[in-house]
Amino acid sequence: MGQVAMVMDLNKCIGCQTCTTACKSLWTDEPGQEYMLWNNVETKPGPGYPRYWEEGGGGYDANGDLNRDGLMTTKEDHGEEIPLNHDEVYFKGVEVQLQQERPMVKGSNWDEDTSSGDYPNNYHFYLPRMCNHCTKPSCLEACPVRAIYKREVDGVVLIDQDKCQGIRECNKACPYDKIYFNYVTGKSQKCIFCFPRLEEGVAPACARQCPGRLRFVGFLEDENGPIHELVYQWKVALPLHPEYGTEPNVFYVPPMLPPTFDDSGEFSDEPRVPTEYLRSLFGQEVDEALITLQFEMERKQEGKESRLMDILIAKEWKSLFNIPNVKIY
Amino acid sequence: MYKSAKTTRRKFLLGSASAIGLSLNYSKPAIANLSDTKPYRSWEDLARKKWTWDSITHSTHGTNCTGQCAFNVYVKNGVVWREEQQGEYGASSDAPDYGPRGCQKGLRHSKYMYGKQRILYPLKRVGERGQGKWERISWDQAMLEVADKFLDYNIEFGPESVTCGLGTQMVMKRASYASLLRFANISGVQMPEAFAGVGDLFTGAQITFGHVTLGNTMAEIYKSKCCLIWFCNPAVTRIPDAHFFWEAKYNGTEVISISPDFNASAMHASKWLNPKPGSDIALAMAMVHTILKDRSFDTEYIKEQSDLPFLVRADNLKYLRETDFDTPEARDNLFYLWDEATNALVEAPGTGTPTAPPGTPEHLIKLPSIELAGIDPAIEGEWTVETKEGPVRVTTVFELTKRRAAQHTPEMAQEITGIHADIIRQVARKFASAKPSMIYAGYRASKYLHGDLLQRALFLLLCITGNTGKEGGGLTITNLAKDDAVFPFALSNPAAAFRVATLSRWDYVHADMKELNRDAFGEELAEEMDKYFQESVDRGWFPDYSKVPWKMGMFSGTNAAAWRSSGKRWRETAFSKLETIVSFATDMGITSMYSDYVLPIAHHYERHDFHLEPRTPYMQVIDKAVEPLGESVDDWTAYKRLAEAISKKAIERDIQPIDDNVIGVPIKRDFKKFLDDYTKNGSIKSVKDVIQFLLDNSSGIQSVSYDELAEKGFLRNKGSETTVHSKESPYYSDIWESVHEKRGYKTLTHRQQFYIDHEWFFEFDEVLPRHIDALVNEGYPMKMIMGHARHGIHSMWRDDSFLLSLQRGEPDIYVNPKDAEKKGVVDGDLIQIFNKTGSFICQAHLTSGVGQNMLYMYHGWDPMMFKNRQNFGAVVQTAGLIKPTSLAGGYGQLGWKPFAYEPNHTFHDYTCDFEKYQGV
Repeated sequence: MGQVAMVMDLNKCIGCQTCTTACKSLWTDEPGQEYMLWNNVETKPGPGYPRYWEEGGGGYDANGDLNRDGLMTTKEDHGEEIPLNHDEVYFKGVEVQLQQERPMVKGSNWDEDTSSGDYPNNYHFYLPRMCNHCTKPSCLEACPVRAIYKREVDGVVLIDQDKCQGIRECNKACPYDKIYFNYVTGKSQKCIFCFPRLEEGVAPACARQCPGRLRFVGFLEDENGPIHELVYQWKVALPLHPEYGTEPNVFYVPPMLPPTFDDSGEFSDEPRVPTEYLRSLFGQEVDEALITLQFEMERKQEGKESRLMDILIAKEWKSLFNIPNVKIY
Repeated sequence: MYKSAKTTRRKFLLGSASAIGLSLNYSKPAIANLSDTKPYRSWEDLARKKWTWDSITHSTHGTNCTGQCAFNVYVKNGVVWREEQQGEYGASSDAPDYGPRGCQKGLRHSKYMYGKQRILYPLKRVGERGQGKWERISWDQAMLEVADKFLDYNIEFGPESVTCGLGTQMVMKRASYASLLRFANISGVQMPEAFAGVGDLFTGAQITFGHVTLGNTMAEIYKSKCCLIWFCNPAVTRIPDAHFFWEAKYNGTEVISISPDFNASAMHASKWLNPKPGSDIALAMAMVHTILKDRSFDTEYIKEQSDLPFLVRADNLKYLRETDFDTPEARDNLFYLWDEATNALVEAPGTGTPTAPPGTPEHLIKLPSIELAGIDPAIEGEWTVETKEGPVRVTTVFELTKRRAAQHTPEMAQEITGIHADIIRQVARKFASAKPSMIYAGYRASKYLHGDLLQRALFLLLCITGNTGKEGGGLTITNLAKDDAVFPFALSNPAAAFRVATLSRWDYVHADMKELNRDAFGEELAEEMDKYFQESVDRGWFPDYSKVPWKMGMFSGTNAAAWRSSGKRWRETAFSKLETIVSFATDMGITSMYSDYVLPIAHHYERHDFHLEPRTPYMQVIDKAVEPLGESVDDWTAYKRLAEAISKKAIERDIQPIDDNVIGVPIKRDFKKFLDDYTKNGSIKSVKDVIQFLLDNSSGIQSVSYDELAEKGFLRNKGSETTVHSKESPYYSDIWESVHEKRGYKTLTHRQQFYIDHEWFFEFDEVLPRHIDALVNEGYPMKMIMGHARHGIHSMWRDDSFLLSLQRGEPDIYVNPKDAEKKGVVDGDLIQIFNKTGSFICQAHLTSGVGQNMLYMYHGWDPMMFKNRQNFGAVVQTAGLIKPTSLAGGYGQLGWKPFAYEPNHTFHDYTCDFEKYQGV
């Protein structure tokens, strides 16, 4: 059995939401899916999408047992696309100000660029999120009708739309809140890792269409692929919230922000993003990962070679996609 | 357009090596064939079916975002379904490649083009302007009515009483742009230029180099060893190319973001410097000072490439010129150096040559060599020279520059900028030692009153470090494609030329800007500014628009009423004076709302055209994937219909040709012949013929038919082996030729010129760059900072419901939480931002990404989305503040030259305050 995986380099993510838009236009443009972003990008620290998803429970406890107390998310927690009064203002002349038909209260990216800490030592970064296609998917275990399965061929976790009865136990069980209920079809839906594309050798839309060139796609087991190197050899790509116990297959290269200033206005050694915060996202391993990244970057600054930096630079865009029979379209 | 080759689903065989040589060597057991997947799940086929389509067209979005990203536009069931980047480009030299490009706006267009803001039919206003009450009419009726008015104004007031603004939806579509220019040449309408008009013109580059086209490809960033991102936020505004910065950082380049706000580019930089808003000149000059004091400057480069070794008289601080000597027919453009080899005065090579006659096309201007040929110019020292007035002490520009820089020590700059002196020194030293060093500059600099001084300071910094003109060095901003095919196409009658109006000055006289100055800065300053404005006209340096009646405005692909500074005031002054307003547009916006006629224009995927943008070395097709919606047509056709209607009405009314004169040559304008002139007597049948003419006659691009280009999507330009634009490329490479071939610059001294001994520059103490305190309006502590939006391009896509769902659904402004707390404002509150000249209302978005006493807002939001239809233009109280030195002329590279030397609109140099909005 193979496991398809993704590494996202947060030092290259500019929060442009091209991944979000690419996914939206391909998979969630139908009635009942308005609020769904199988892929989203959120500003961290911040409540994210859906709001306060990290506080919603789910996943496994320390004993490896399924947490049964996860909260069910609602449409309102996500925020949705709201039409504007174009017709009334522009062509009928019955309203004056162009605006949404009802005010938006919260949205998937409501806190875009909302920084933490005090200026000029404030900090924030962008975190793209999607289904982690976990090795131990709690959604799968929670489903009472066994509609969720993990494909043997590539480890992609899918919800069989024929079998799903909309019970939504999966929604409660997913600690990443990456399962969405379709209010029209009455079924739960989520990221499918673009398996139809994968089968054709084309990377998932979010990765293939990312102008930041930050998403590596490949098989974890492929020792010659960048994913294996980044996750297992360099150990700079880490799962998000490993403590949830689901063993995600999406990994992140942690962010390195520019130096802070001390009280006199000189550069300080105090990291811009508190290490404690990064540990809370990526575990203790983040310390070592940041040291490795810094060390290798300094090698390049000194004019030396660095295999790690070369992988992350990814001079050839296509080198990000290490999938069978890879082709561009 | 071709049908998808995708007919059968390929086997998902992990074990087999791929055709492109990707080897997969698993240590784990081979992965099963997909067909082994058990059990068969029929629902998976539905997902597979969703990712299918009927056809693919290569196209892009003809906007001025500099992206020109190649897209595959997928059509399903007769409508555009989605788009995906075409993808694989090559690379320039050993930089990362250009793929895949694209952004969320590009991907959203498939939905936006079917949005409810779309204009589908010709509309005639039936209610008040701005009311949104329309009658649907036919193209015929609309064009004939517009033609009648056009003729009336032309006969009574002349062709200049009609303006035709062309905007960002238009100027980068080469064939549309050429079509509109052709119409302008035939008709003689005024075209307000929108380079300085939007406050983007690098006047500092014109002063220093004699031209403003400096940029290379975005891949050049990777070749830099120290890159200062200054006055911009490319992570938001250059989404397809931002990766080059972070890849360079990984490759060892020091990437330093210089910006008051902690933005998405600062986030990923090696270092972030946060100067107080508007204090950047002090920072740049302190860096210059550090490098001069360290004596780490590039002497050889300075001697050859700049005016720094030129001699200046100590008595009157003017350049030493031939006219200072008792020489018959002495030239006032011949300058001197002190040759250390012979310890004698020598003529500066290349100076004293006759200047090209006005109107000579850029690429035809012959420039002298500046090769030193054995001369070793002193850069430091003082000497006595025998002039016709007797002995005179002379020194060098370099010496004066040292003195000027000494007025900007890092400690002084720390006071002004808030950046620690040691950090300034550290960055200056890095910049001087890393070779090459680059400044990636944004247009925001030009939106400050003294933006030209900042730009001159940056060029000085680059000059003394020997970086301008080096691959990976110098200042990079956008370049322009040579118009060597556009002009021959557009100039139906070369003697008629084009009527181009400087927009800031046009608005000054037509939108009561003197009044605005009076309101904002008081009587005295308003009169003072006006005095220079008038004097510049009186001395013939800049044209006089005050006598030009403005009767009719046509707007093509521009939402001018959204961005003209002073906002509602502009609508109430200039715009409301117009008797007839015609808008050619794809989507509704405030300009169309206040128009009398609105004509539907085809959207990007419904037309043929092509793009030439300098950020990548590619030419990009715009191709038709589907038929235009409703009755919309491409711009070529729209102006053909107008020309046809004008001819028809002129024949019907038997209107005789009128006399006109644009460039000193008397010409006749025969309305009856407009259609024949526009179509070259019927030989140009469609926009495809325009495109083919341009493809056949543009330099630097591959010879190709439009259909071939459409089949390929994009094609690599010539001269793009390295990351800089060479002479063979379609872009200007003046800097490159000056530095590497020692071809003189287009300045008075034929050097990078830092010393401007023009009388007005003396008057304002701007002979050399210096820091000038920003204007502060007492009692208004908040400095407004603005920039291009992440989720829109200018005013385009800003009202897309999905993109709004990724924001706050309405215009928002960044406020520091401490400032908000003082005013009792919480996140999400509506606030009113105000100063002496106006106010507007929007949502407060609290973030410590901005400091106290700063407000940050993305510009481009359409006033239609605000209460009272009043956007930030309301508080731009500097709209009428026209910098006097930008009106100077009669001196080499100075003097009115559209797209080169004209005053910018000052959009950003003001303060304001805010309070919680009390209304509902």
